[in-house]
Amino acid sequence: MDWTKQLGRYIIVMLLQVLLFNQLQLVGVCHPYIYVMCLLMMPITLPHSVDMVIGAVIGLIMDIFCNSLGIHMAACITLMFLRPYVLGLIINDKERLNEQINQQTIGLGALLKYVAILIPIHHLMVFALGAWSWHHMGFVLLETVVSSVISIAVIIGYNALKYR
Amino acid sequence: MQNLLKILLRYSNFLVFLVLEVAAFLLISLNNPYPRSSVLSTANDAVAWQHEQVSEVAGYFSLRAQNELLSQENAALRNQLSAMDSIKTGELMRYVPAKVVQMTTSELHNYLTINRGSKDGIQRGQGVRNSDGVVGIVRTVGYNYSVVQPIIHTDNNLSCRFAKNDYIGILQWDGQDSRFAQLTDVAAHMVVNPGDTIVTSGLSPVFPEGIPVGIVESSTLKEGDSYHTIRVRLYTNFKRLKYVEVVQNAHQTELEELTNGLD
Repeated sequence: MDWTKQLGRYIIVMLLQVLLFNQLQLVGVCHPYIYVMCLLMMPITLPHSVDMVIGAVIGLIMDIFCNSLGIHMAACITLMFLRPYVLGLIINDKERLNEQINQQTIGLGALLKYVAILIPIHHLMVFALGAWSWHHMGFVLLETVVSSVISIAVIIGYNALKYR
Repeated sequence: MQNLLKILLRYSNFLVFLVLEVAAFLLISLNNPYPRSSVLSTANDAVAWQHEQVSEVAGYFSLRAQNELLSQENAALRNQLSAMDSIKTGELMRYVPAKVVQMTTSELHNYLTINRGSKDGIQRGQGVRNSDGVVGIVRTVGYNYSVVQPIIHTDNNLSCRFAKNDYIGILQWDGQDSRFAQLTDVAAHMVVNPGDTIVTSGLSPVFPEGIPVGIVESSTLKEGDSYHTIRVRLYTNFKRLKYVEVVQNAHQTELEELTNGLD
């Protein structure tokens, strides 16, 4: 795996998240977190525990920008923990996971399944921990559904444009 | 012993997951509710600088409207100044102007960052207002920047009173709409009409008495309720907030020490 390319990808997507997507406050329930794209696209070549530490670091950086210490971190660690299991369920040919995970390597259907399982989990954790009470559960669920749909659309849209 | 090691090795990934999650939750609980580290939030200079640059660029698009607001505010201030001169009372409140460099309005826990910090004499717990009304309370102070918890935050509890008869209520926010808040603790025997003005009570040293908060939009009293459900339209437009003033009460420390001594 090309590490400079990987790092560059992280920086670009984090900047996009902070400068563009965090500024989107048109509707109260719309907070897409597209920065998880980098975490999701990483190939499964590193040890599982190293993957989780990378998730923790990326989450912590996001937290500093969002004033939400620990929340993105917890969600990203969970995401990285579940990732290999979800991929194992969806994909039989393990060889393909040694490369960047995208539409070209695993196919559109598998990518959509993969993203549609993990993104709502991540978003639900972020919003539920942010609310920190059962009182706002309805609002949190609505926020999760709306924001997840937008995040998934952005990630799939990016893949569709790049590998058409 | 060897078996234990085997088990640990077998589940090492899950253990790493647990340790990391515990660390994350520790951070969340440290951070929740208030004593947040100023380094790991938007009071951090580098992060605040980035937010400031973004709002700087975005600021060019609303220059005309902002200028108009500023000139209105200047005029209002000059009027107040002349009124004050005639009274010649001892000055207790000092206002420090600040610019909002970052703000959220659509979360449950909204925060705004202002470009004034401990070097300008800002302290935790000081009130923040703008020319329209109350904005919030300073929560974290960095050297150059501070983080303010606005009244549109679900943990908000602001003591207010009706301008018409000084009846006290508590202002809270339900997380729904940044334009409206809820006034609670107003007993059923009180007559509440839409259009009643709500101002700060002056019961805490954070805000002086009589800073405008909002007007009553609607109030409902169901059969058997002992308190009104009151919806207040806030004077402060949080979606367009650019310039605020931090209220410094010269006697705040003394007042707080006095009340702390009562426990």
